[in-house]
Amino acid sequence: MQLQLQNIVPTPLKDKLLQRHSDVWNKQLQLNNAEYIKIKAPSGTGKTTLVHILYKLRKDYDGNVLLDDKNLATLNADELALLRQQNISIIFQDLRLFPNLTARENIELNRVLQQPLYESNMTDEMAALLGIMHILHQKASMCSYGEQQRVAIIRALMQPFKWLIMDEPFSHLDKHNINKASALIDAECKKRNAGFLLTDLEDDEHFNYTRLLNL
Amino acid sequence: MLNQLLKKLIHASSGRSRNAMAIVGLSIALLLILSAVQIQANYQQLLYTKTSQDSIADFLVINKTVTDKNVGAATLSNAEINDLKQQPFIEKIGTLTPSRFKVGIQSISKQIPFYSDFFFESVPDEFLDVNTPAWQWNETSNYIPMIIPNMFLDMYNFGFAQSQHLPQLSQDLITSLPVQINIQTPTGTVNYYGKVVGFSDRISSVLVPQPFMDWANKKFGEAINQQPSRVIIQTKDAASPQLAGYLKAHNLSTNTEKTRFEKYRGIITTVVAISWVMGGLMFLFALIVLTLFIQLAIASAKEEIYLLVTLGASPKQLQRFLRRQFLPANIITVIVTLAIVAALQFTLQKILATQNIYISAYISLYTIIAAFIILLLIGFVNNRAIKKYIHYNN
Repeated sequence: MQLQLQNIVPTPLKDKLLQRHSDVWNKQLQLNNAEYIKIKAPSGTGKTTLVHILYKLRKDYDGNVLLDDKNLATLNADELALLRQQNISIIFQDLRLFPNLTARENIELNRVLQQPLYESNMTDEMAALLGIMHILHQKASMCSYGEQQRVAIIRALMQPFKWLIMDEPFSHLDKHNINKASALIDAECKKRNAGFLLTDLEDDEHFNYTRLLNL
Repeated sequence: MLNQLLKKLIHASSGRSRNAMAIVGLSIALLLILSAVQIQANYQQLLYTKTSQDSIADFLVINKTVTDKNVGAATLSNAEINDLKQQPFIEKIGTLTPSRFKVGIQSISKQIPFYSDFFFESVPDEFLDVNTPAWQWNETSNYIPMIIPNMFLDMYNFGFAQSQHLPQLSQDLITSLPVQINIQTPTGTVNYYGKVVGFSDRISSVLVPQPFMDWANKKFGEAINQQPSRVIIQTKDAASPQLAGYLKAHNLSTNTEKTRFEKYRGIITTVVAISWVMGGLMFLFALIVLTLFIQLAIASAKEEIYLLVTLGASPKQLQRFLRRQFLPANIITVIVTLAIVAALQFTLQKILATQNIYISAYISLYTIIAAFIILLLIGFVNNRAIKKYIHYNN
């Protein structure tokens, strides 16, 4: 699935953002299928805003976002739901887990929201890989932020996708866990022939990025 | 699995008591409405069903009111009969043919001796409430069958017989008791045997078969006035205000106790109407409470629903889930209410039967249809509320 950004710029930040150089804002970008995109952005440059625009959580922007030539802005609620179930998965910076569900239930929910891609035992495999087997039965609100982050990663990988959007996905993980998580994400993307778009504050070498962009 | 998780997220536990209240309100409203429908159905059944019990209400004997002015000429003209025929509330009309000759009747039994001057009338058979094979006559018949009003027998048994120290008579005894009928003709008296073959609640007259009447009037009658003075009508509704109005306007009268029923009917109609209005209002409130309850349930899970949609749950999925949460309770409520109405109807039937009022022991089809329509309406209102608030949430 091809992702095109045509001169997008968030309306409220327009004046501020257009004053500085950016590889993304107000530029024509074509992100091809299975590309690994890293977007480096210092604080306050609209990193999360970009993620939310791509995931259609915000509509207050100029320009167009096209998915395989289909304008994101024109999708209705059901088409959007289908897009999120089948083509775009996300790891939010603020994780957005259901605090009252257990870690396992949080993952399970995203597995069964559509025709499941994996059997439920896949949760255990991934959880074992990321070292959070022991907290699967705990309520998400009772887990540490680092554990929650890994739950959010597994949740995102549990569904089909063509693009995985990650907003500072490793912010609370140590190097050892980042390596395990990035290896898992890499493998899952390759399985699906999918690409990802990762935003972070600094440079990193977690993946073999095909493109590095400064926001 | 998805439903279990959704249930955990959008659990209506916080609104359990509100839910119960909404359902109780709905049940009471349903009970009122369905009872109103059922009462209406019972009432219609009592009015219009052709069973022998309510035959009194269906047939009326009509004659001119005898006043000072029309004494001796209280007959109905052909024009008047034709006009009656054309009235919408009249289904059938038949004339009562009176005998045009003098009749005497006397007992042939020595135990119960009696003699009386008498008169006969006849009506077409279709207006009779007595169905017996003995009710036929031709010139070779051995006896003349007669139908007498039940009222006569009652008057005799409870009034006349007691004051005259005569034995009381049962229906069976009377039908087994032949009598002698003396018809006076210009050339002398002709004797026949007669026999009571039935008792009528419908027509208060001594009836003989129409063929006999036609034959005897021709043979013995004095052709002075061939116009009938009484007609019998079959009507859908003896208590209809139109009928009463028509009779009054045309100076006609009938068995008044039958049309007096009109008054009771007015009362029943009012009671049923009140029950309709109350039920309707309650139903309206119940629908509002249900809608509010759904709104509240959705509002209290607003964040969860928002996050679900963010993760890719489609509004349709959520709406389907919510419908499944509310629909079973509604269906059960309607079924339980219907069962209660059925039980009430069954009890009512038992009670009324002891008072010789016969209604069906089962609820009417209309009640079931009404319940079904109400269920559809509740479903529709629920769906609308769910659709509206799920959409609003996005």
